[in-house]
Amino acid sequence: MGMLRVSSIKRLTGSDSSIKKLSHQLLQRCSVSGTAKGKGKVKAGQALKRSKVSTKKGSDGGGGGRKTGLVAELEEMAKKCLTAPTPIRFLKPKQREREAEREKLGLISKERQREMEMLKKQAKEGTGFEKPAIIGTSGLDLISLGLVDADSIPKYELTVEDGRRLAKEYSRVLMRKHRARQKAETTLLRLKKEAIEALPEHLKPAALVPDLTPFPANRFMATLTPPIEGYIDKIREAAEKTSGKEKLR
Amino acid sequence: MQSKCMTPLLRSLRAFSSSSSTTSSDKIVASVLFERLPVVIPKIDPVVYAFQEFSFRWKQQYRRTYPDEFFKKYESRGKGDYQIDYVPAPRITEADKTNDRRRLYLLLHGTPHATPGGKPVWHFPEKVYENEDTLRKCAESALKSVLGDLSNTYFVGNAPMAHVAVQPTETAHDLSPFKVIKRFFFKSQVIAANKLNISKCDDFVWVTKDELLEYFPEQAEFLNQMIIS
Repeated sequence: MGMLRVSSIKRLTGSDSSIKKLSHQLLQRCSVSGTAKGKGKVKAGQALKRSKVSTKKGSDGGGGGRKTGLVAELEEMAKKCLTAPTPIRFLKPKQREREAEREKLGLISKERQREMEMLKKQAKEGTGFEKPAIIGTSGLDLISLGLVDADSIPKYELTVEDGRRLAKEYSRVLMRKHRARQKAETTLLRLKKEAIEALPEHLKPAALVPDLTPFPANRFMATLTPPIEGYIDKIREAAEKTSGKEKLR
Repeated sequence: MQSKCMTPLLRSLRAFSSSSSTTSSDKIVASVLFERLPVVIPKIDPVVYAFQEFSFRWKQQYRRTYPDEFFKKYESRGKGDYQIDYVPAPRITEADKTNDRRRLYLLLHGTPHATPGGKPVWHFPEKVYENEDTLRKCAESALKSVLGDLSNTYFVGNAPMAHVAVQPTETAHDLSPFKVIKRFFFKSQVIAANKLNISKCDDFVWVTKDELLEYFPEQAEFLNQMIIS
């Protein structure tokens, strides 16, 4: 569980230096334990191992010469990922004050420069918020599947006030639905009780015994899209074909 | 015998014995509310989606943008042994478009209920209770008589989920004692079956809750309470 948390911190962290230090500490602890799953960071040593596997599967011709090229590429990419910037910088108020003062003095940090360039670009091109953004894999996201009507989504800007307004409406709608569902469930229970009361005497004890047999495990769970006909047969065939080969680690 | 009033339909309950073997003059009928749980998740309120989108975008602003080569590398590595391209099946099936109520594919995000019936009366599958062990067994046999076999059904619980008492209309020729028909509903669900062979009845129909109200307009309130969604 600690390892998962590490990877999520790595991906979502802002450029705040104190948080970076914390994540490094957590990373070290995990590597001591010996399991190295789920890390967002690409270490140079690990990269070598993995690149071997991928070339094994794909091009068998990769010899010694190509390996060093790959390693250099990976290291450069790793560096870029570690120093990757965020679209909007998250700064606490004190830090903002410091930035303003430094600007007066004429010292502008690289990050501040980037921010100013981004703002200029946005002012020119517009923020691009008109059409709804696609969340998740394209084709399987909620809008293109017809789960949400794209036109009836209320318009909003990415500001704190709009955020608060949207949050209140969201909470209102969901709470209303929740309460309606609770009501319906209590009604169901009431009807059941009344039905049991209305049973003739010799049938009541049988009805009052709770049925503890587990419900069937193959009960279908609702999913985003309905099951495709004939798909599971394809999967079974493919699995049978590949079960003969050895597993590549 | 009980003396309280249960539902608005029950006006009075007289407890005098008739010449039949049952000790009361009530006819007890076990009927089955046979339903199929929804196959796709329901539509999402646009307000809810707007908030989720807003929060997603807001968080994205503060996340690091990794260079594109990182994602290409990730994609090329992560494939399994076999890849099958698939097109997700549409949420609105042809059965929906043609409103074909006999096929189980109707309205994937409602929960259809089965009401087989003769002409012209539509009703839930039911059976009059005669000396069996429990009412649930009676209900199971009711469903069996319609479906043929019960391997694809699951009865929820031992107790009925609701009951109605129907007063038969008094006619001049009807000199037999007042027979109140008490109908107890049992809930059962379809398990792992796409097409059910519903034979042994004249016609059958899978309906959602709204359509059910068309078939039984006078009991609309009761049905609303009994069936959620």
